[in-house]
Amino acid sequence: MALRNSTLSQRGEQSPPGVAHAKSRKWGFAKAAFWFLFPALILLVLFRLAPVIEVFFDSFRGSRSQWVGLENYWFLLGSDTFLESIRVTLVFNLLINPLQVVMALVMALLIVDGARKPGFWQTLNLLPVVVPLAISSIIWGIGFRPDDGIINAILKAVDLPGQRWLTSADQSMMSIIILASWVGVGYWSLFLVAGLHQVPRDLIEAASLDGAKYWRTLWHVRLPLMRRPLAFVLVADTAVNLLLFAPVQILTNGGPLDSTNLVMFDIYRNAFVFADLPLAAAETVLLLIVVMVIVGIQFFMLNQRNPGN
Amino acid sequence: MTKSSNAWLPTFLIALVTTVFMMPFIWLVVSAFRPEIDILGHLSPLTWEVIIPARLSLENFIGLWQDGFWLPLFNSVFVAFGTVALGLIVNSMAAFALSAIEFPGRGIVFAVVIVTFLIPFEAIAIPLASTVRSVGIDNSYTALIGPGVANGFAIFMLRQFFLSIPKELSEAARIDGASLFQIYWEIYIPLSKAPMVGAGIIIFLFQWQAYMWPLLVTNTREYEVAPVALAKLIGQYEYDLGQMFAGAVLLAVIPALVVLPLQRHFTQSIAGTGVK
Repeated sequence: MALRNSTLSQRGEQSPPGVAHAKSRKWGFAKAAFWFLFPALILLVLFRLAPVIEVFFDSFRGSRSQWVGLENYWFLLGSDTFLESIRVTLVFNLLINPLQVVMALVMALLIVDGARKPGFWQTLNLLPVVVPLAISSIIWGIGFRPDDGIINAILKAVDLPGQRWLTSADQSMMSIIILASWVGVGYWSLFLVAGLHQVPRDLIEAASLDGAKYWRTLWHVRLPLMRRPLAFVLVADTAVNLLLFAPVQILTNGGPLDSTNLVMFDIYRNAFVFADLPLAAAETVLLLIVVMVIVGIQFFMLNQRNPGN
Repeated sequence: MTKSSNAWLPTFLIALVTTVFMMPFIWLVVSAFRPEIDILGHLSPLTWEVIIPARLSLENFIGLWQDGFWLPLFNSVFVAFGTVALGLIVNSMAAFALSAIEFPGRGIVFAVVIVTFLIPFEAIAIPLASTVRSVGIDNSYTALIGPGVANGFAIFMLRQFFLSIPKELSEAARIDGASLFQIYWEIYIPLSKAPMVGAGIIIFLFQWQAYMWPLLVTNTREYEVAPVALAKLIGQYEYDLGQMFAGAVLLAVIPALVVLPLQRHFTQSIAGTGVK
């Protein structure tokens, strides 16, 4: 990945002075490089690497810091709350991620395929993602209120029955999916717009905007070429949604009946409500492994995009 | 190709989709600027007055200000911009070392940066918060700003751009006796406006979006950030709905004002790094 020939010292080595000089120069560069890197590295170690190592060791300890081996993990695997939290998190992700990708794709297609002022629409739909998620959660929470919420008022205005939304174990997850999708869809469509622009023009030149031909070209030519950006968005979106926390903590506290007890909130609850830090640590380790594999795939795809480097 | 006379259909459809997505904003802004007693009026039966206010009022904003919301708002702004200022320097320096200087072990250092970029901060926030509390730096700007400064993704993005800067420029400067720092500061940084803006936005949004971390490391009013202050308000049995909306408008408008004028840079750097 490194552009070896483009760097200063490599050029230095090629110039007359000779090997010994080049070597001392190389170490001179190393010293300079150290000072350039020092602030970032120390912060990354303190705020990213050290906590991972610490949480890993904490997960093998008991409440009085004694070594307990895998006990925390065995406890988790036998805990109904934890297993239910995993199930809820899986269902949530299996629903929200495909839904967001499809919605983002529709939005991207509308923007790319002929809408006037594409930049304008893209900008407007990007707005929800710059608002803090905690704030979006609060606003949607007020809108979702069963008795005096605007969403039920709209439903009743078109003669549909009001729903119980966040207060019902059957609808709470759907409510969070709606609010999280409102936040995410415009953002993810940004990546798909970029991807659609990469599809070679001459491949779609023959297709007209309307009629069966458009759909045929879309399905057989463009979408297959969009496989990579679509997969990238799916993976990146999954990494985000596996860690969703603010809406749950603000609106439902995992309820009703643990129906929105996503694993990130379960960790928070174990750590701060039940004050069981070692158990929270073991749970964090399991979550970290899953998310790091997913983000690793995401990074691998991202890096392959730049073969020139 | 397609921007012809039949553009009205996709334009109509995207306008429809966008309107649906904008409804919460319209409702939010209208509610914030009307007297509190009007906010939940006109709902049953539903009338257009829900989004077309008959009376405008600043009472929600005034009340919010009098209740001291300016302090958490200041904290949020200070933390976000402080992190951006520090983060741009720290990350661009690291990216410079990883692209323009060849030194033994560069590959290893870059690998470490990549690994940190794979660690989602939310997942380690809880154990890290315990550490921060045990060393006694909770309830401080240091605790709030610290985790946002160094950003593996920003380093990666800036490095990708720095690698594209022609090496002849820095070689010529070296022959003229420029130091590495001068090359960094006088050649690389001025050439890198777009990726620096992109990195700045990434760092800004990381902090502006932050909720869990400030919740964990602050418990005094003095260092409370605005989203946490509003979320605590909604947890109470009775709260002022109008002030809630007014606060939400402020927290939505500030990032929009920061990001939207720069959106082109943002789009380019994100999409350019991600899916090219």
